[in-house]
Amino acid sequence: MMPTYFRIALTTVIFCFSLLLPQNTSGFPKTPVERIILSNGLVLLISEEHSLPSVTLQLLVEAGSRADPPGLEGLANLTSEGLLLGTATLTAPQINESIDFIGASLSTSTGKDVATVRLRVLKKDLDKGFRLFFEALTRPSFPEDEIKKEIQRTIGLIKSEEDDPSLVAEKAFEKALFIGNPYGHSVRSTLESLTRATRDEVFRFHKSHYLPNKAILAITGDITPAEVRTRIVPKLGSWRKGATFPMPFREDYAKGPTIIRINRSLTQANIIIGSEGTSRSNPDFYALTVMNYILGGGGFNSRLMREIRGKRGLAYSVSSIFGAHKYPGSFQIELQTKNASAWEAISLAICEMKKMQSDLVTEKEISGAKKYLIGNFPLRIDTQTKLANFLVHAEYYGLGLEYPQKYHSLLNAVTREDVIRTARKYLKPDSSTLVIVGNMNEGDNDQRVHSNCMNNENPVR
Amino acid sequence: MFRYLSICTTGIKVFLLLMFICALPSFSQRQVEAGLKEQVHETILPNGLKVIILENHKTPVATLQVWYRVGSRNETWGKTGTSHMLEHMMFKGTKKTSGETFTRLIEEAGGNNNAFTSADFTAYFENMNSKEILAAIDLEADRMQNLLLRQDGFETERMVVMEERRLRTEDDPRAYLHEQLLAAAFLIQPYHWPVIGWMGDLKRLTFDDLTAHYRTYYNPANAFVILAGNVKKEEALSRIRRAFGVIPGGPRPDQKKALEEPQAGERRTIVRREAQLPFMLIGYHVPNLPSPDSYALEVVAALLARGKSSRLYERLVRKGLVLMIDAENDFLSRDPSLFLVSAQPGPGRDAVDIERVIDGEIRRLQEEPVTHQDLEKAKNQLEAAFILGQDSLFYQAMVLAQHEIVSDWRRVDMYVPSIRSVTQDDIMRVTKQYLISDNRTVAVLIPAPPNEAKQEAGRGLSGKGLPNQVIP
Repeated sequence: MMPTYFRIALTTVIFCFSLLLPQNTSGFPKTPVERIILSNGLVLLISEEHSLPSVTLQLLVEAGSRADPPGLEGLANLTSEGLLLGTATLTAPQINESIDFIGASLSTSTGKDVATVRLRVLKKDLDKGFRLFFEALTRPSFPEDEIKKEIQRTIGLIKSEEDDPSLVAEKAFEKALFIGNPYGHSVRSTLESLTRATRDEVFRFHKSHYLPNKAILAITGDITPAEVRTRIVPKLGSWRKGATFPMPFREDYAKGPTIIRINRSLTQANIIIGSEGTSRSNPDFYALTVMNYILGGGGFNSRLMREIRGKRGLAYSVSSIFGAHKYPGSFQIELQTKNASAWEAISLAICEMKKMQSDLVTEKEISGAKKYLIGNFPLRIDTQTKLANFLVHAEYYGLGLEYPQKYHSLLNAVTREDVIRTARKYLKPDSSTLVIVGNMNEGDNDQRVHSNCMNNENPVR
Repeated sequence: MFRYLSICTTGIKVFLLLMFICALPSFSQRQVEAGLKEQVHETILPNGLKVIILENHKTPVATLQVWYRVGSRNETWGKTGTSHMLEHMMFKGTKKTSGETFTRLIEEAGGNNNAFTSADFTAYFENMNSKEILAAIDLEADRMQNLLLRQDGFETERMVVMEERRLRTEDDPRAYLHEQLLAAAFLIQPYHWPVIGWMGDLKRLTFDDLTAHYRTYYNPANAFVILAGNVKKEEALSRIRRAFGVIPGGPRPDQKKALEEPQAGERRTIVRREAQLPFMLIGYHVPNLPSPDSYALEVVAALLARGKSSRLYERLVRKGLVLMIDAENDFLSRDPSLFLVSAQPGPGRDAVDIERVIDGEIRRLQEEPVTHQDLEKAKNQLEAAFILGQDSLFYQAMVLAQHEIVSDWRRVDMYVPSIRSVTQDDIMRVTKQYLISDNRTVAVLIPAPPNEAKQEAGRGLSGKGLPNQVIP
């Protein structure tokens, strides 16, 4: 049934974006983008495409959960949710009624680094929609009773997340890996810190983080740059810039091996094997993208899929991901298998990491990976929403407007030697953080298998 | 609209993609205004294969989809899950192209491919750079007839599907509840059983079951092809003719299924299992697309739960009683299906109180004419969602296909005008006719405390001797 899948989908979108963005193709026609910097520091990115009578606005502001004050984890999320709960001139029900009446969607979301506010609206209602979007963004009033209700709702959502084993595993993994590091707590955070949050704290957080000079706004769809200049820019000018201060980031990551077991009456063990990842700005990012595609990022033919699912039928889903954020995120292999085959699957996954480190990948594998990653790019920006999301993140990571044209040469420069070098540097088969959420009374506990995996496997590829 | 499709897929990645697309479903402005009929080209090949082509040049991508009119509704008692199992087997290759080569060819062209199965259909797709899309046509035509089914491949894939069932249903209390609801609401129609199949049936399925299913349902007369995107109609059509035209037509399988008798009283089903929070589903039997009441029920679903100003959102979410509320009208199913209200009670909230509020709001719709403002709002929401939905090519093709499955893709053009013509009286009439207790099934998940089975060190996954931390 859907609610759960929806949540997975949304989580994926928030956390995996940085992995998704860097794809393009040489043959791909340039998507025209106009970039304007307003006097208040706001970066505006406009891409027109008129086949559909609608406009998408996506604003990114560096106000993700990493900016949560210690002890008040969850504040960033509460603030972004609070934007829609009342403004200087409108109550929450008035905002809701106005948005619904024009069939628009106005939503916010919070990730580790950034918060986003998105408006999708029919062209004919653009002015109405934009007024609501801008009012919520810049003049929220965070009414006391609404914030209290939102805290209660968040506490309920945290509780309901406990019914999703993959989220339970994800939270435990992050908590264990990012020790005392601002990426360690989940965006919604914990019950304790939320009970400490107050309306004043939310107000202060908004005041110090929701600044035009810390924000990027992409506008895509049925609107010309000239229209943006006349209908939108004058209003944006009233958003006052403010002082920014550096947010220190403590780069502390657990050195494994660590095993965390969480006992639940489940039929499957939900497994995460992982370690420190990398930041988006690391020059190794492209080699890692290729390496990860071959290992477990790439559909049905990745090594992990072939070994664990294709040959042995041990899992429906197995994948690996480098979540590259502003600062180093995590590397994770994630899979679910019946409790009885947990250790077999873990061993196989660890073996595949080791093989990435011991043998060069084949010519066929590396060329296949590059062809896919380059050729798939147009599909990643083929809607207004995907394009807007791409544009704000490309700007945030400083990739430049020429990035789509440069992408294929960045990827083509990756060699087999780069792949093995990055596998050796970033994969930690013997010192991973391992999380198992499953039924601890089932299954087999032969944990020795992975120590000698290289011997009992035929040399592959 | 089509948010709550109950489907299973071969690969999880694209499943996510799909759900994401479903959440943000696009026809061009011209298309929206002129209607799709003018933009779509239909051809029926001599072997019975219907070909639907939609040119849309806004981005350099295209989607190819082959839809078979077969799903769990075409299965029989004891053989549930056959259609979905066969979907998985369709990735195992033919004499000409191995499964691995198939995927490699698509991926090296930058494409994503996958498939999904519902109660009514099984669909295979390739989303690709439009320069490369024609190559996918040959691959799809080949596997419509020449699938190489092998016993050993079947045994392994069966294990994969059982893992899929554990992932999607066994370990997800809400999905499990949904399965129980369908089993209680449908006594006669095959919607009684889950698309993925009962675990016991999966164990018992045989190789011969799959072969028979493939022979009966995978032929041009029981399928249609949709190609949408940056393609040239003539070029694409000649490639499709060449690839699919040579496949013999075969008999059209019997698609008539027995229908539910009118329900003579409310049914209730309880699921008691380990969970943090309760969950609640209320399913009312409703007609599907050929009935004009479908559109009025779409508006009812919007009035109740679309957007944060909707009646149930106001009364339940904003009041802190539930964390989530939804109302879905499944009007694109091949046989009549359900109008489904789902609610996630918050901590400490009782499902009984929530049910009372839902009943109260439904009664209000039966007794008080809906205000012009509210009616207009619901229609605006549905129309805007329909237009905004067209932003994705994949979704555009999918909407056409779902209409084709239930009746005719041309019916897509009737959606917005039909929604617009719904009146206050229609709302009162359909809520009085369908949203009544005798016609519903209520399923409630009651959380049971965690089963405190003692862990024995050294046994099972609890392990020993390694640095670890056990969180009970």
